[in-house]
Amino acid sequence: SSYEHKLDFKKSKEACLSYIQDAMLQKQWKRAAEFLTYYIESLEKDFSRESVGPSEMIWRMGAEIFCHHSGSSVKEFNSFTEQMKTLGLKRYLKISLEHTFYLLCNGLIDEAYQNLSLAESWRFGEYSATQDEEKKLIQAYKGLLDYYSWCKQKNILLEHGQDGFEDLSVEQEMHNCFRKAAVSLQEIIKIPGVWDLFVKCYVDLLEFYGDHNEAHQVLNEYAYNSKFPANPNAHVYLYQFLKRHGEPKKSLISALKILHDIVPSHELMIEFNTMLQKSKKRKKRRLGLEVIFAALDYAGWKENLKAWSCLARQVKQIVISEKHLDWIKQEWNSRKDWWPAFHFSRYLAKRNWQENESLSYEKAVVAGILLGKDCKYFKYVSHQGCKAQVKRFRILKKFVNKHNPVCLRISG
Amino acid sequence: FVPRRGGMGESWQPADAAAIPLLPPNTTSWIPSLEAQDILYPGALCRKLRTGKSAATLDFTKQLGHFFVDHPEDAFGSMGQLLHQNFFLGNSKLKVSARNSTIRMTALMEEIDRLEARRGCPRQRLVPRLRWFSHLCRDWLFEVPLGLLAECVHEELLLQWANLLFDDSCTGGALAWLPPKDLCTGCLVYPGGRSMNHLYFQDVVLKELPRVQASPAQFELNGRIRQVAAARVDGEDFVGVRSDYHCGVWRVPGRIGAAPTPLQVIRTDVPASCLTVSPHLPGELAVCTQSGAIYLWSIEIGLQRLRHDTQTMFFRDHSSWRWSDFTAHPRVLSCADRTGLQCLDARAPERCHFDLFKVGQEANCQQGERVVLPMYLGRAHPSQHLVTTQFSLYVLDERLPMVPVLKWAHMMKAPPLFSHLTPGGPGRSHKVLLGASRTQELLLLQYRGKRRGLRGGSQSACQLAGSPQKLHSIAGCLPYLPTQLPHHHYLLQQRLGAPAAGLATALQEDGPQESLLVFQLSEAGDIFYQRLTHEAVEPPDPTLRDEAMPSPAVPSPAAALRYRRWLKEFCKGCREQRPHTWPPTFSQKRIFTRRELEIPAGPSTLHQRARQQLRQAMQEGGRIQCWDTLPSQPPLLQLLEPSGGLDPLSARLTAAWSESWCQWWEERSSYNVAQRQQALRERRRRQKRARGRHSLSASFTSSHTYQSELSELSDVPQLPPPPLSPTVLPRETASSPPPSPALDEALLSSQSLRCRGIPKERRKTLRDYLSVCAEGPPEPPEPLASQASQACIPSSQS
Repeated sequence: SSYEHKLDFKKSKEACLSYIQDAMLQKQWKRAAEFLTYYIESLEKDFSRESVGPSEMIWRMGAEIFCHHSGSSVKEFNSFTEQMKTLGLKRYLKISLEHTFYLLCNGLIDEAYQNLSLAESWRFGEYSATQDEEKKLIQAYKGLLDYYSWCKQKNILLEHGQDGFEDLSVEQEMHNCFRKAAVSLQEIIKIPGVWDLFVKCYVDLLEFYGDHNEAHQVLNEYAYNSKFPANPNAHVYLYQFLKRHGEPKKSLISALKILHDIVPSHELMIEFNTMLQKSKKRKKRRLGLEVIFAALDYAGWKENLKAWSCLARQVKQIVISEKHLDWIKQEWNSRKDWWPAFHFSRYLAKRNWQENESLSYEKAVVAGILLGKDCKYFKYVSHQGCKAQVKRFRILKKFVNKHNPVCLRISG
Repeated sequence: FVPRRGGMGESWQPADAAAIPLLPPNTTSWIPSLEAQDILYPGALCRKLRTGKSAATLDFTKQLGHFFVDHPEDAFGSMGQLLHQNFFLGNSKLKVSARNSTIRMTALMEEIDRLEARRGCPRQRLVPRLRWFSHLCRDWLFEVPLGLLAECVHEELLLQWANLLFDDSCTGGALAWLPPKDLCTGCLVYPGGRSMNHLYFQDVVLKELPRVQASPAQFELNGRIRQVAAARVDGEDFVGVRSDYHCGVWRVPGRIGAAPTPLQVIRTDVPASCLTVSPHLPGELAVCTQSGAIYLWSIEIGLQRLRHDTQTMFFRDHSSWRWSDFTAHPRVLSCADRTGLQCLDARAPERCHFDLFKVGQEANCQQGERVVLPMYLGRAHPSQHLVTTQFSLYVLDERLPMVPVLKWAHMMKAPPLFSHLTPGGPGRSHKVLLGASRTQELLLLQYRGKRRGLRGGSQSACQLAGSPQKLHSIAGCLPYLPTQLPHHHYLLQQRLGAPAAGLATALQEDGPQESLLVFQLSEAGDIFYQRLTHEAVEPPDPTLRDEAMPSPAVPSPAAALRYRRWLKEFCKGCREQRPHTWPPTFSQKRIFTRRELEIPAGPSTLHQRARQQLRQAMQEGGRIQCWDTLPSQPPLLQLLEPSGGLDPLSARLTAAWSESWCQWWEERSSYNVAQRQQALRERRRRQKRARGRHSLSASFTSSHTYQSELSELSDVPQLPPPPLSPTVLPRETASSPPPSPALDEALLSSQSLRCRGIPKERRKTLRDYLSVCAEGPPEPPEPLASQASQACIPSSQS
C-alpha cells in the first residue's frame, strides 16, 4: 500500500542519512558525496516536520563535503549554493553567509563582497522579513570587507605619503569605503550581542578620522549598556582606548575596577595592581592588595611570576612598615583554610624550586610572612636556597625570622 | 580572516581495525540489561512505528502477573495459607466429604493456561468462570490491596521505561585512567564483578600493545559502581567512586607501585547523581544528590552543603539529575541541572553566584534541548567548560558567561554521557572524546583555544580544528572474531553490544611517535581499547589526504591473538555459568502438592514407546512423524510424508510464523467451493482405498476446516472422481489401534505436561498445537468421514 511505501521510503531515507554521517565522520568524503546524491531524492517527499529538514541537512552536509572533498572546485560550490538558496528560502541569508565564508577562505574577496551585496538586496516577501537578524549580520560583514579594503587603501596612501606625493583617487576611494563601512557597522552595534570584531573595526575607523567623542560613546555604550551581555572585552577595549588617549588615571582605574568585578582573573589585573600601588590614597592601595590576592585565587595564575612578585613586594612593604597589617589579615582570613594546600604544599615547593627558582623565591616570601617560618613551603625553599648558596634566600630567612612575631599575628 | 571551522586538525589515524580487548572478559555471568521488548506490550513497537505516535504501551498486566508468579508469598501469603485446605489442584474427583468446603481448581487453571495460549487472538473472549472467580476474590485474596499494588507496579514500570529511554545514572562514566608517574606504567581504575561492585586498580604498561602488569588491587563495595572520577593533585591521584547510596574516595600515592588507600566513605539517603574530584586541592570533591542538594566534600573538614533546591534553576524540568564540577577558582563550583549551569561560591553560596549557561535563546538552543553532561576543561584552559546537550556541544568561558564560545551540533544518535579531554600542548589542538552509552558511539573532535594571550580579543578565539572523527565501538569488533555457532554468536553479539559504561584516554609518547589510547568499558564489565596514531606531517598529495583513514582491514596478528584469547575465556565463562542462565522459573512445588508431583512409579508403555521413537528418530536424524505407530512400520510412515508443497498445518504454521496468520485464516474460511469439492472428492476416493489405515499422524494435520467443509458440502451433488494424483500411493496396511482419547487428553492437560517435565514455554506451544486437533470436530456427521479425517491428506490438495 502507499502507506507502507511511505514508511519504507522514510526508513531508507534515514538509512541513507546515517551512511552519509558515517562516511563523513570517517573522513571518506568521496563516499559521503556519493550517498548525498542519493539523499537528494528525499527532497521529493519532504513531509517531515522536524526542526532540521532534509533540505537543511543537504545544505549543511554538502557544504562540509565541499570543504574537504579533493575534487571540489569553487565553481561547483557556487552552483551548489545557488541551488540550496532556491531550495531553502527560509535560510537564504544564512546560506549566503556560508557561501561568503567559503569564498573568503579561498581568497576570493571580491566575489565574496559581490555575494554579500547580492544577499543584502535580496527581497522575497515574507521570507526576507523574517530574516532580519541575518540581514544585519550580512550588512555587518559587508562593512567588515569595506573596512578591509579601507585598510588596504590606507596602507597604500601611507606608503605613498612617505614618498611624498598624494594620490587623490585612492584617497577618495578610501573615504568611500569608510563611509560604507561606517554605515553598515553602525547598524549591528546597536543590537545587543557580542560584536567585538565589529566594534574594534568601527572604533578604528572613527579614531583615524579623529572622531574621538563618537568612538568613546560607542565603547561606553558597548561596555555599559545593560541590554548587552556582560562582556569583559568591552571594558578592555574601553580601557585601551582611554589609555591611548591619555585620559586621567581616575577614569582608567574606574574602567579597570569594573573589569576586576566581572573577571578578577583578567590579565590586566597586574597592570591595575601596579597602578593602584603607585597611588597615594590608602583606599586604592588597599584595593590593589585585594586585586592581587583575588587574581592569585585562580588556577591559571598559580605559576605567574609577575603576580607573585607583586604580592611579595606589597606584603613585605606592609610588614616592614607594620602599618595596615589588618589588610593582610582580612584577605588572609578567607583564604587560610585552602591557600596552604593550594599554593604552599611541600610538593609544590619541590616542583617550583626545580622548575622556576625565582617563582619559588617570591612564593616563599609570601608563605613565610603569611604562615610563619614553620611553613612547609618556606622551610623547604629557604633550606634549598641556603644550600645552593643563593644570597637572596639567606636574606629572606633572616627577614622572616626577624618579623616572625608579626607574621604570627597575621596567621593567628 | 580565519574561518571558524576550517583549519586542519591533527591527523590521528586508527591503528587497528577495531577495538581490541585489553583484559579477559569479566568472567562472571552478566544479565543483559532490560530491553524495550521486556516491558512493552507485544506488538506495540511495531504499531508505534506504523502510526508514528510516540506513546508506548507498557505491558502492565504481564508484569503484575510476573509478580504474582515470582513472589507468591508476598502476594498471597496469608490468604494462601488460610485457604490452602479449600483449594484442590489435582485431577481426581473430590471426595464427597470434602466437597462442601473445597473447590476444584484444575478447570480454572486450564482455562487460564488456555487464555495464555490465545493471547493476542482477536477472537479471544473472557471465560465466564474466570470472570466469576476474579469478581469473587479480587477484594480479599491479595496480601497487599490490589489497587495499591497495581499503582506501585505501574510506577515502577514507568520508572523502568524512563530509564530505558534515557538512563543518566552512569553519567560521567565508570572508567578512569591515572597517567603514568614513571615513563609508561599508568593505572586503570574500573568496576568489575557480577554486579559491578568490585573496584579494581590495574597497572597497565603502555608499550607497543598495552599490557596489564601484576594483578590488580581490588576492593569490594556494597553497591553497583556508577561513576569513577579521578584527578591528580600535587602528584597524587584522588579517585572518587559513586554508587547509588555511597560515595567513596581513594588515594593513589605518587610513589610507583604504592597501593591505593581508601580514605573516606559517605552515605546518602537519596541516590547521588554526581561525584567530581577537585583538580586544585587534594581530597576535595563535589557531590550532588537527586534531592537537589550540592555538597562540597573535603576529607579533612567533611561535608558542606552549598545548595538545596528541589526545583530546577531556570525553568521547570522534572528531572532530578544534578551535576557539579570545579572551576578556575578552587572555591567556586559550577552546579548544573537539565536547564543550565550556575557558578556558586562555596564561601557564600547564597549570595555569590552567577549564571554560566542557560538553555535558551542566548545559546540559540533548540526546543526540548537539555543539558546532558557538563565538564570543566581546566587542563586545556583554566576558565573553559564543556557542556553537551542531546543535540549540541558548547564550550563556555567563565569570564564571558551565557554566550558560548563554541557551538557544534554533534548529531549523535544518543546523548553523550561520557567525555574525556586530552589537552594539547602549546600550538596543538585539544582533543575531546564524547561517548554515548546505549549506542556505544564514540566521537573524537579537536578544538583550538588560545591560552591566555595578552591581547584582549583572545577570548573568542576558540575554533574547531578539522572535522570530527568516529572511533570504533566495542560491537564493531564482532566480524573480526572467529566465526561462532549461531547461539554462541548471539550471546557474543549481546555481550559486545552491551551499553557503554565509561571511557578514558591515555596519551602515549614514544619518542617522536605519539599515540592516543582510548579505553572503553561496557556495562558487562569488559574493557576494550583502540590506538590512534598521530601523523605529524600531512601527506603532501591532496588526493591522498582526502581519502585518508585507511583503517586497516584486518587486525594485526597480536590483536587477533587477543581476540582469540578473549573469546576462549568468554566461551569458558558461558559454559560454566550455564546452569545459572536458565530463564527464571518458579518452583513447581509452590503450586502443587507433593503427591501431585510424584513421578509415576514406572514409565507407562506410552512413555516408553514415545521415548523409543524419539531415540530412534534422533539416531536416524529424521523427524518424529507420529507417536503412536508401531515401530515395525517405518516404511509406511516415510511414504506418508508429504513429498512436495505444504500440508495445511505446515502452511498454517508457516503463515503464523511469518505473522500473517489472520490472512491465512481468512483465505481458509473463504476457500472457494470448487476447491472444497475437489478436496471432498479426493478424500472420498482415498477413503475407499485406504480404509482401515489409521495413523495418528492425522492428528498433526488440521482437520478443523475439513470438517466444516464436509458438513457444508454434504448436499453438494456427487461429481465423478478426479484422476488419481500421482503422489498418492495408497496402500493397505495392517490396522493399528485408533488413537486413544486418553492420550490426547493426557497430553492436553497442562498439569500432566508439567509432570512430564516439559518446560513451561514449550508446554504452551505443545498445548496450542494439540488443542487444534482436540478442539477440531465436535462430532463428525458420519462415521465414514470421521475415519477419513484420520487419514493423511496428500500434499497435492493443499
